[in-house]
Amino acid sequence: MRFELSEDQALLRSSTRDFCQRELPIDKTRVVMEQSKDGYEPGMWRSFADMGYLGLLLPESVGGQVLGAIELAVVMEEMGRVCVPGPYLDAVLAASVLATAGGHEQLLAEIVSGRKLVVLARDDSPYRGNRAEPTRFSDGRVRGTKYFVPFGARADALLVVTSDGLVLVDAPGNMTALETMDQGQRFVAVALDHPATFVGPLSLLERIDQIGAVGAAAMLLGVMDRTLEITLDYVRTREAFGRPIGAFQVLQHRMADMLLRAESSRSAVYRGAWCCDTRVVETALACASAKAYAGDAARYVCGQAIQLHGGIGFTWELDLHFFFKRAKTLEQRYGATEAQLENALAAAGY
Amino acid sequence: MDLQLSPQHLAFREEVRGWLAANADRPWREVLRGSTATEDSLIEARRVWQRKLHGAGYLGMDWPAEWGGRGGGPVEQAILETELIEADAPPILNTLGIGLLGPALIHHGSEEQRRRFIPPMLAAEEIWCQGFSEPGSGSDLASLKASAVLDGDDFILNGQKVWTTFGPWADWIFVLARTDGKDRYGGISFILCKLDTPGITVRPLRQITGESEFGEVFFEDARVPRTNLVGEIGEGWRIAMTVLAYERGAISFTQAVQYGRDLGRLATACKEIGRTGSAVREKLGRLLVENEVMRANGIRTLANFADGKAPGAESSIEKVYWSEFDQRFRETALDLLGPGGQLVRTSPEARDDCDWARQFLWSRAETIFSGSSEVQRNIIAKRVLKLPQDPR
Repeated sequence: MRFELSEDQALLRSSTRDFCQRELPIDKTRVVMEQSKDGYEPGMWRSFADMGYLGLLLPESVGGQVLGAIELAVVMEEMGRVCVPGPYLDAVLAASVLATAGGHEQLLAEIVSGRKLVVLARDDSPYRGNRAEPTRFSDGRVRGTKYFVPFGARADALLVVTSDGLVLVDAPGNMTALETMDQGQRFVAVALDHPATFVGPLSLLERIDQIGAVGAAAMLLGVMDRTLEITLDYVRTREAFGRPIGAFQVLQHRMADMLLRAESSRSAVYRGAWCCDTRVVETALACASAKAYAGDAARYVCGQAIQLHGGIGFTWELDLHFFFKRAKTLEQRYGATEAQLENALAAAGY
Repeated sequence: MDLQLSPQHLAFREEVRGWLAANADRPWREVLRGSTATEDSLIEARRVWQRKLHGAGYLGMDWPAEWGGRGGGPVEQAILETELIEADAPPILNTLGIGLLGPALIHHGSEEQRRRFIPPMLAAEEIWCQGFSEPGSGSDLASLKASAVLDGDDFILNGQKVWTTFGPWADWIFVLARTDGKDRYGGISFILCKLDTPGITVRPLRQITGESEFGEVFFEDARVPRTNLVGEIGEGWRIAMTVLAYERGAISFTQAVQYGRDLGRLATACKEIGRTGSAVREKLGRLLVENEVMRANGIRTLANFADGKAPGAESSIEKVYWSEFDQRFRETALDLLGPGGQLVRTSPEARDDCDWARQFLWSRAETIFSGSSEVQRNIIAKRVLKLPQDPR
């Protein structure tokens, strides 16, 4: 038994931390998030490809790295530490679905090399207050409205979830930008009445949803880790009543609780990832628990980070709000807490 | 990363399972509810069970072989404990002797002390209680005042100990006593006292559960031979701290097994009594998730043990997590079960799956004993987060 990462995994962590610090420092990301219409820098996608991130889970035949959920968690955790914007996890998950379905070699090779972006379109639209209508696939056409499609405006193709299975559709028009509070996550709504090709049954999503939950929870872990570091630095230097505020027991206990949540998330994330890779019976329960817990934990940690900074924590100038917003976005996506609680209950047979 | 038990550990688990299948008695929860059960009969049952475990070599597993140890470590210990939980076996009787004093004697005692005290401790012939806390010294344990003054070949003890678990039915007590009034930590010594010594009085204290598991112990000019000193004079604090580290172990791992079992019983109970609404399910779901995260914390600690890493101050995180989780769990259980959850276990109407009312009350002790939640958070802030310390 061993909790520590293997030598290769530890190398992946250090190279990813270097890459993120060099190529994706938060000062640069801040400008991209504030000014780019895409919410991320598509030019970075080639660097992601060079680092092997885009084909992390994919087979060698399409240029992938044939790695697993632990490695994905390592990369996501490091990306969380600098609040990386863009559709990274979305691209990884969509590619994994295509690879599991079989075929699509050409498209997968283009995804791995960063030339094409495919994302999942899942949520059926309750657009303008109407009740959600299921998206259908029949006679070679996909019909319906998808809501909150991540980075749909940049996607070359969408992998659409319909009640008749998963279908692939070339980048359709008719997109409406849905601007949210997280500047590093861009969404669109898309009205579909387009020719599409059948990819496979909905059961393809089962394993991908577990990996997605672990990946998102890992990014939440990185978000928590970095937010706590920023806060610890602040309370050691900021003085009030003649001493560093970090010496006050009431704040110390708060930070002990922040650490408890971050470290417990770490245990849960890596256990979940290990379960995914080992395909043990407790995988569903472990993944659902990691995501549900990390979502709550990150909201707490990021919220308390703002609280402990006081007024400056509420300013746009400080980086904390980017982490705070990302925590909320991730909590809602890749299986929101409510859905993960149901998954956990089902897995336990309650 | 490898979170699977090794083949040797799996083999050990199989061995324990086989032994339990052949040797385990009635489930303990049935014994507790039995119409003839008294406090004395339950103690006797625990004594008998401890002897059985000792006979099979399952006590003090990480001790040297001559004391019944078998070269096992914390992983074997955790496996054994989880299997005992699964089998609903009785608790052993000499918990504090084997959990705390045994390691203290092995690491700090004299050869003579080990020969004199360890065999009857393992055989449950001499039951031990722990004399650390005092009415004026709880979280600030090092402020303790009970005194031991050397007089010829004896110490003369005066003072009072309290919250002495097992005090009312123990034969011996290990005491932290002050041998030097000026040296806060270096003035404390670790002394073994027989409870029928003239000048020592034990009084039971009734707990909020109605049980008198703990008591208070008074020392009035009690004369104890100097040979009962463990280690040197003034080494008591250091011995106590190393011994307390043994109390921790991979506790989240074993607790998650117990809570998982009780959580399953709670889920079944909710179905039986028709409480299946979404508000109920959300509560169950949250408990389930929190217990799985605790299990993950436990697996991580266990894997670190197996990897040769001793736990540091992070064990404070585990203590806060499991004790506060148990309170949420037991409170929620009583909410979900309705008034029936408050029935005492001997009530004919009480559910026989778990003593919900007792566990609800007991959970209040867990955030106090063995370092309160507040003390644990101080430790995390100081030793893990390394935050600046206020002059106290």
